[in-house]
Amino acid sequence: MMQQSGSVRPGLKPAPLNTAVAVEMIGVHKWYGDFHVLRDINLRVTKGERIVICGPSGSGKSTMIRCINRLEEHQQGRIVVDGVELTDDVKKVDEIRRDVGMVFQQFNLFPHLTVLENLTLAPVWVRKMPKHDADEIAMHYLNRVKIPEQAAKYPNQLSGGQQQRVAIARALCMNPKIMLFDEPTSSLDPEMVKEVLDTMVQLAHDGMTMLVVTHEMGFARQVANRIVFMDEGQIVEMNAPEPFFANPKHERTKLFLGQILR
Amino acid sequence: MSDTATLTDTELAYVQRSPIAPRRPPLAASGAIGWLRENLLSSVFNVVLTVVCALLIAWIVPPLLKFLVIDAVWDGASRADCLPTPERPEVGACWAFVIERLGFFTYGFYPIEERWRVDVFFALLALGVGWMAWLSAPRRDLGVIYFFIIMPVVSFVLLIGVPALGLPHVSTAQWGGVLVTIVVATVGIVVSLPLGILLALGRRSEMPVVRLFSVIFIEFVRGVPLITVLFMASVMLPLFVPDNWSPDKLVRALVGVALFASAYMAEVVRAGLQAIPKGQYEAAMAVGLGYWQTMRLIILPQALKVTIPNIVNTCIGLFKDTTLVFVVGIFDFLKTIEAARGDPQWATPVTSTTGYAFAAMFYFVFCYAMSRYARFVEAHVAAGERR
Ligand SMILES: Nc1ncnc2c1ncn2[C@@H]1O[C@H](COP(=O)(O)OP(=O)(O)O)[C@@H](O)[C@H]1O
Ligand SMILES: [Mg+2]
Repeated sequence: MMQQSGSVRPGLKPAPLNTAVAVEMIGVHKWYGDFHVLRDINLRVTKGERIVICGPSGSGKSTMIRCINRLEEHQQGRIVVDGVELTDDVKKVDEIRRDVGMVFQQFNLFPHLTVLENLTLAPVWVRKMPKHDADEIAMHYLNRVKIPEQAAKYPNQLSGGQQQRVAIARALCMNPKIMLFDEPTSSLDPEMVKEVLDTMVQLAHDGMTMLVVTHEMGFARQVANRIVFMDEGQIVEMNAPEPFFANPKHERTKLFLGQILR
Repeated sequence: MSDTATLTDTELAYVQRSPIAPRRPPLAASGAIGWLRENLLSSVFNVVLTVVCALLIAWIVPPLLKFLVIDAVWDGASRADCLPTPERPEVGACWAFVIERLGFFTYGFYPIEERWRVDVFFALLALGVGWMAWLSAPRRDLGVIYFFIIMPVVSFVLLIGVPALGLPHVSTAQWGGVLVTIVVATVGIVVSLPLGILLALGRRSEMPVVRLFSVIFIEFVRGVPLITVLFMASVMLPLFVPDNWSPDKLVRALVGVALFASAYMAEVVRAGLQAIPKGQYEAAMAVGLGYWQTMRLIILPQALKVTIPNIVNTCIGLFKDTTLVFVVGIFDFLKTIEAARGDPQWATPVTSTTGYAFAAMFYFVFCYAMSRYARFVEAHVAAGERR
């Protein structure tokens, strides 16, 4: 798949050409019991690329990106993340999870830990970083998501938008090479969506490889290199944002866009 | 025609001119009479209930007070002081007996000159319990190590004695009274919490062998009465160890109690684990934590915190159940009372009643304290969730 990098959006680097592959999914299938949830998924994401995944509810978007850090196991096909193939080898799974950050729809912050402790936990216990260094990095990222003053609070004391920004900072503290977002703004009140999207746009500017499941089509237009449209466990259409929105090819894509862009 | 036709301008559109300052709520029912009316006499049914309860209290409390306090004998050296006489026909509780036998109730046959060791053990235990129970105590991580490792080891050495260190050996056959009751309860709790957590994790494990073992253990132990477990431990344990290393009676009973308590603790912990949302596991895995790290750092701290009240309730049950160890010949607190009340030196019509009243008060004080603590933690955790 060639990159459609011609589109110029202010400040955003075009997706790099012919660079190393960050994520490669080849002929991936998955079943829940008898239910064929992923059907022959083929997707190659190059480093620095930003992919937005959309599609109707239940189409397998979450399942697909959760296969990338093995929160779900695929049963057929190959998934290679940053040069490491996902197999039953626990060591490799751990290796990949260290390098892949994930942001969930429900934030999933650790409620018994302060914001700062949420951020330093994995660097200290997984990366074996000295507490002092971890604190420093945590404060750096809290500054970047613009809530350094909340460091000592508990997650329940923050607004939804703030919690989601903490969740993003928590993932960034592990210095990931790839970030996965599963509907990061879907459970937020409307007035908080923007602050989270802004954080993600900033991340895109910094060149992070991102796979984002979202229905925020403004965000998709603004930062995505490619949009993947899924339905019934399959990738139905995949294209750069402009042609994707202006000229969807598949009937189901047209139907879906007609519903959400109304 | 329509309703709006009759509405005035201010009813149709409204703009506030001046803000409304907050006021105190109206005093509907105040004072003692208001309280009575609201809480005790609000309906016919409530009035009946109130009267019945008042009669019950009037029936029970005065005789109890009369026996336990008013007619009670506080000092004396022998049964003669607690016998009814012509000038004192009604004799209440013979506290003189309890006071005189307090050492026996507390230490059993532990040698008198070595009893300080038991006192030190009580102090070590109090320190550990305080450290665990005070939720915002400093260094609770050290507290855990102290409570589950250091304290048990030191206490064991202290109580059993090491002649080399100048602590004469005191056989467990000489231990008795409150000491044994507390030792049994403590060992039960100290062993059952970690073992119960492991069993609960095992029951939720993805490894079939581990899961099967946990389920069989938990269900088997929960399916038989403690008394059976105690008999089995004391009869069957010797089958599993070499003949020349036959564990003593107390150890056998301790093993039985600990295994029994573990099965119950496992179910309590499992309920707590079930309350933790799947997202917590996923977030922990996604940042790269392994299974044991996830459990120790993320899942158990949350699960145990909401489970503390239930853990304490299990401890209350365990504390009362320790009275059953007498069936395998252990001299616990209740057994010392039993022994002392039959002593001819103190044989009076009120000795038994006094002994049992004292035992009831002893168990009540401990269990009620634990129960209050459980309620306190419940409120504390609920407040934390509202945060
Ligand atoms: N653990 C599971 N067991 C069985 N079915 C599941 C499970 N998780 C998801 N599914 C089903 O798989 C389908 C795809 O789910 P998901 O990937 O969450 O879709 P999306 O994120 O696109 O809404 C849905 O029909 C859902 O009901
Ligand atoms: Mg989803």
